[in-house]
Amino acid sequence: MKPVVQNLFDASPDSSSFEETLRLLARLPAPEGIEERVQAGLREASLRAGSHTASGEAASGSAVSSKARILQWPRVGRLESAWARTAAAAAIVFVVAGGGWCISSRIQPVQPQAAVALPRVAAHGGFSSAGAMRTPQTLNGPVAAPAAVVVAPQKVTPAANPATLIRRTPLHRGKPASTGSTASAKPDAGAKSAAEQPVAPVAK
Amino acid sequence: MEIADKAEFDEACQYAEEAALAGLVSQYSGTLYRVAYSVLRNSADAEDAVQETFLRVLRHRETLGEVRDQRVWLIRIVWNVVLDRKRRAKTRPETDDVAELARVLPAGGLSAEERAAAAQHHALVLGCVEQLPAKERQVLLLSAFEELNSVEIAAVLDITESSVRSRLFRARNLMAGLLNHSRSLR
Repeated sequence: MKPVVQNLFDASPDSSSFEETLRLLARLPAPEGIEERVQAGLREASLRAGSHTASGEAASGSAVSSKARILQWPRVGRLESAWARTAAAAAIVFVVAGGGWCISSRIQPVQPQAAVALPRVAAHGGFSSAGAMRTPQTLNGPVAAPAAVVVAPQKVTPAANPATLIRRTPLHRGKPASTGSTASAKPDAGAKSAAEQPVAPVAK
Repeated sequence: MEIADKAEFDEACQYAEEAALAGLVSQYSGTLYRVAYSVLRNSADAEDAVQETFLRVLRHRETLGEVRDQRVWLIRIVWNVVLDRKRRAKTRPETDDVAELARVLPAGGLSAEERAAAAQHHALVLGCVEQLPAKERQVLLLSAFEELNSVEIAAVLDITESSVRSRLFRARNLMAGLLNHSRSLR
């Protein structure tokens, strides 16, 4: 099978010239006897390494070598293969994760249920209080100081503005503020009531 | 008893490792020599590099069993060895390269003059190769080996295959420019 890299060289004169040189260089035969020389070098290196170990052993006593052999870990027990190392790492991760989960499940306190604030529904089906801020039921509506000004009976003229008269009336107490239709009043009704009475009660 | 068995086991393992290493030497020493020579361009240095490669393998022989592609693995080791040597070595004069090339390149029925001219041409090409940036030069040299495809070159250089292709493309363009420039000067 031709290597893929061969297709990368175009058949142009320039590329073929240096291509040929590099291929000649790559195909140069190895000198004869290189294998024997390399093998001899390796044997010499092994003997040197062995002699170093032997000299070290001789210096500290022959018992050291036997001790070293005894203490040497067996090859069977070593995790030399990649799959064994992977399995060991996975087991360690599993044990750590499992232990952490057990601890967290025991320590985690029971949280109280959060109170759910239900939206207030309008009593008479009027406008809902959606969008309005919920106020606690600690107050019975804004408390207005009793009117210091005594409203003297006035001559009610048809031109009198009933809205002004209505504004002076104190707000009712004890009942939650209903949908904001309290202050609004029909002009006609206000005019009639103003003609009849100086102060019109606030409609419920 | 256990110590005696263990000693025998160790000896057997050692013998197996040495046999495996000897097999690698006989199988790949030629390839490693050619890879080393393509960079160092000196026969003695290339052989030393091959020796150094197998010495490193000897020191880490316990990892032999984990290597999937031993050929690419060995080429990668020798590649690193020759790059280290080249960094430490002084710049070789061009005349040494020409003489070496004239000696080692196949004659192919050429006359002495033709052979000298060919050696000059090869030396010119190799001189241009030396002027390339390191990354492009390395890819260009390795791509000349028929036994290495782009995936294996990427493994030797520890880069992606797409990087191999792009560097090779750049190297070709740069070489064309350098050769034209050299010829125009001559």
